[in-house]
Amino acid sequence: MPEIVKVEDLVEVYSDGTKAVDGVSFGVDEGEFFGFLGPNGAGKSTTIKVLTTLLSKTSGKITIAGFDIEKHGDAIRKIIGVQSQDTTVDPDLTGRENMMLQGHLHLMGGEELKNRVTDLLNLVGLADVADRRAGHYSGGMKKRLDLGSALVHKPKLLFLDEPTTGLDPQSRAAIWEYLSKLNKEEGITIFLTTQYMEEADKLCERLFIIDQGKIVANGTPESLKREVGADSITMTLENGSAASATKEKARQVLGGIPAITKIMESDGGLTVYAKNASLIIADIVRTFDTNGIRLSSVNFASPTLDDVFLLHTGKRIRAEELNTKKTTFQRFGAARRPVRE
Amino acid sequence: MSIVTDTYHLFIRALKKLVRNPILLFFSLFQPIIFLVLFTQLFSKFATAGGLFPPGVTYLEYATPGILLQNGFSSALQSGTSIVDELNSGMLQKMLVTPVNRSAILLGRLVTDAFRVVVQSSIILVLAYALGFNVATGAGGIAVMLIVIAFFGLAWSGISLAIGLRTRSAETVFGIGGFMTFPLLFMSTALVPAAVMPTWMSDVSSVNPISFAVNAVRDMSIPNWFVAGDIVSAFVVIAAIAIITLGATLYLFRKVVK
Repeated sequence: MPEIVKVEDLVEVYSDGTKAVDGVSFGVDEGEFFGFLGPNGAGKSTTIKVLTTLLSKTSGKITIAGFDIEKHGDAIRKIIGVQSQDTTVDPDLTGRENMMLQGHLHLMGGEELKNRVTDLLNLVGLADVADRRAGHYSGGMKKRLDLGSALVHKPKLLFLDEPTTGLDPQSRAAIWEYLSKLNKEEGITIFLTTQYMEEADKLCERLFIIDQGKIVANGTPESLKREVGADSITMTLENGSAASATKEKARQVLGGIPAITKIMESDGGLTVYAKNASLIIADIVRTFDTNGIRLSSVNFASPTLDDVFLLHTGKRIRAEELNTKKTTFQRFGAARRPVRE
Repeated sequence: MSIVTDTYHLFIRALKKLVRNPILLFFSLFQPIIFLVLFTQLFSKFATAGGLFPPGVTYLEYATPGILLQNGFSSALQSGTSIVDELNSGMLQKMLVTPVNRSAILLGRLVTDAFRVVVQSSIILVLAYALGFNVATGAGGIAVMLIVIAFFGLAWSGISLAIGLRTRSAETVFGIGGFMTFPLLFMSTALVPAAVMPTWMSDVSSVNPISFAVNAVRDMSIPNWFVAGDIVSAFVVIAAIAIITLGATLYLFRKVVK
């Protein structure tokens, strides 16, 4: 498969000197479902902004579908679809009008556009509210409208920047199913950023993990999990995170157990990695007991992408991180009534 | 040509937004209507008493062109709030990842502004007519008036667009717009002739762009006032302002786009 996105040594330095992306290289194959993972501020959205021609790169070389991003921005914009992290729909236009406008800006028109928009409204489940103003939609409906708008012109390459953040589990599952279908049946290449490990695991064929502007790991979800090489045991300590002395002591004690290959800090406790970890749980409990360290919980797990993420970035994705996203701009004027789905 | 179709589609979009938020139109018309109804009554006797106003012209006849221009001027100064909205809501970015013609984004905005000023001016004209205002030069004269007002507005909307692009704050656009409106309006011949003013103020008003534009509009409405040179100087002033303000807008817009 030829590469539809080719990024070599991308560097992006903001005017205040922040190095948001620091020498990133990767390629995305045509037809691939590609995932870009990273904690907040890792450089995911910045990379997407550069790839979608919204931001000029500081240095590096990028081609999309063979077009140099510097010279052929217009050709690139014709074949990409973009859903940005902050949902953007025009609140004064109806759902249908929002999609029609996107089509018009892609120089589509006539019956072809009308039919395409009707199909898409059905597909994203907004057909029955299509002629109501988008300002009255719920958050999930806006998100689906935004996704539908990105597809009007049948893009070859779809950029999705955290498409399901803030959605309820049901809407999320529906979008996953739809994205899989788009990728498999219509052959659309999808470039997805996400903070949900489950989402990446389920959808992406290949993952790149970015942290502090650098790629720290890449591979298929399976190979990345295999790389962790061990099961994990996550322990929370009684009066856990508050007592750092206890934590330190626990670390030392765990260091004495030879089967343990790695010890990482995690929320309110520690995570250790070991081959066949289930066999050493008893050892851990016993040594903790003799050293007077009290455990409040012990969890055993086979490697997940969460472990991959923790291993490479030293962070776990936390629920509160997901909720403290930038608040979207509030339009002034009358408050808009939400519509129940 | 994608610039034409893109501008058209963006204009239609803006029009829908305008029609669906009639409250905004009401707010912009509120002030000129108060001026038209109350101001012209308040000053009606001054205009005939002191001999300082042109003889044979009622205050309504004298002031309506000024009120029309003031409306064009102040609504143009709010134009930047819509670009702030597009920037901060992400709509602008959403457009920029499509092949939309970049100039069409600005052009769509300007065409909408011009259209809005013409609609508002027409409403004011109808109301003024009901109060007894007439346009001496007829339908052609009304057309010229509306063109002068629309272009005058466009020239100034550049200031507000530039401030909007630079500060990304609707409050700043409103603030600076409001700050500019009244000093410029009162130090012009929009509402009273220069003869009424103290010397320093009449000096200011003689170089105030509003005075030039209002002369051109009055030439159309008041019988036997027409002087071709007034129209020419109005457009020279409009062009000079437009070059500066729209130039700044274009420069800042390009910075945002790239």
